[in-house]
Amino acid sequence: MNSGLYAACAGLVARTQALELAANNLANINTTGYKAQAPTFRSLLANVSSNATIDAISQAVNNFGVLGDSRTDGMQGSLEHTGSDLDFAIQGEGWFAVQSGSGRLYTRNGNFHVDHNGHLVTGEGNIVSGAQGAITIPPGKLSVSNDGTISVDGALAGQLKIVNFAPGTALTPAGNSYFDAPAGSERAASGQLVQGSLEGSNVNGVTAAVGLVALQRNADLLQQALTAFHSNFNRIAAQDLSRI
Amino acid sequence: MFRALYTAATGMVAQQLNLDNVANNLSNSSTSGFRRRRLQFQDLMYQNLVMPGAAATQNTTVASGLQVGLGTRTAASEVIQAQGDFNSTGNSLDLAIQGTGFFQVKMPSGETGYTRAGMFHLDNQGNMVTADGNPLDPPITIPPDALTISIGSDGTVTVTQPGQTQAQQVGNIQLATFQNPGGLNSVGQNVYLATTASGDPITGTPGGSEGLGTLQQGVLEQSNVNVVEEFIQMILAQRSYEANSRVVTAADQMLQQLNNLSR
Repeated sequence: MNSGLYAACAGLVARTQALELAANNLANINTTGYKAQAPTFRSLLANVSSNATIDAISQAVNNFGVLGDSRTDGMQGSLEHTGSDLDFAIQGEGWFAVQSGSGRLYTRNGNFHVDHNGHLVTGEGNIVSGAQGAITIPPGKLSVSNDGTISVDGALAGQLKIVNFAPGTALTPAGNSYFDAPAGSERAASGQLVQGSLEGSNVNGVTAAVGLVALQRNADLLQQALTAFHSNFNRIAAQDLSRI
Repeated sequence: MFRALYTAATGMVAQQLNLDNVANNLSNSSTSGFRRRRLQFQDLMYQNLVMPGAAATQNTTVASGLQVGLGTRTAASEVIQAQGDFNSTGNSLDLAIQGTGFFQVKMPSGETGYTRAGMFHLDNQGNMVTADGNPLDPPITIPPDALTISIGSDGTVTVTQPGQTQAQQVGNIQLATFQNPGGLNSVGQNVYLATTASGDPITGTPGGSEGLGTLQQGVLEQSNVNVVEEFIQMILAQRSYEANSRVVTAADQMLQQLNNLSR
């Protein structure tokens, strides 16, 4: 009886966590450069003692479904044309590399500014890395080509670098649209730069809404299972049987 | 029921893409030389609950089987190669192609781009270039003292200069066509690039033996977007999206009924 109760409870907790992921995705449906996160469920075999042989029934009833992982969806978000010369979007694979207080971070959010030193920085003030470190933008009409060549009033002023990672490299979200990657895993990127556009969030409203409906109904079913164990079985065992 | 939910979701996503395509077509309804795209949908895979042709008994087979589809997917967006309408501008550097073929332009990366938009300008050295500054390939240079520029239907460019009665030929515009123009890669700026799907370009003189179209000077080819057809596609996309969302609602309500069974 207990394993059924805990199985239902584990499932409900997993669905609640998945619901939090879904809510986070929906909250970021307008965030520039946001990558949707999808939950992956996995089964966890509980109560495995090392020396006893496990019979099939024990394995079946102690097989809990928990939230195993959250995958980052790498699909391209839609490009929104803003017309600002300091807005950049990457079409294809690649990340902007920025130097922040906590090390080297990567982002798809190309909403850049020029700070008081003339360096190209992100909205939080982190310096954007070019081919040779920080990029200094002199005053004038800024024009950046598809491969990152920066020219101001027709004169070359530097190279905006995009980096990529080997497929399967673990990119962990670090907040503020930044991602963290293992050191030394940068490689050349094949994406193209688009000046004057920003990459929107890649959250698909339809799949997010339908996922929400499925999760809700799933959680409801588990809640019914939990109620069956708690209210019916336990009540019958504890109260009704004792009156016989 | 969850299967119905996800199947309906694929339908809604497909119609979203359909609307995106309609929006692109409509926004380019006045772009010179634009070719509209049409999405092609395919059904997704099927879940075989009972395989058709499976043995029912020793001597009989199942007649039709039990297969449940899992939704739809967008397979391709084909470019409709219909000729656009002609707009007479009277500008001597405006060209329209009547028939098949593309102008060849040299892109900044060195590769050859192909375009139907015939709005050409002269750069500071007299070369015929597009609005982005990409020169025609092979290049045509107009001398600075040219009085009038005439471009014949076979691509021959002749100019008249002061003090000369005879017109001077300064070059020949060549066109290119492809075995499969639908396989060209659209890169924006009215330019297409060749791919392995489109095949190698077949170049030649306009109106020549390769079947290329003829040139018309002073005329621009408009976009071939048919606004009425796009509006109908938009209505279809909207109603199909609505129908799929009704399926989501129905599945949701059925799941609610299921949950209420044990209350």
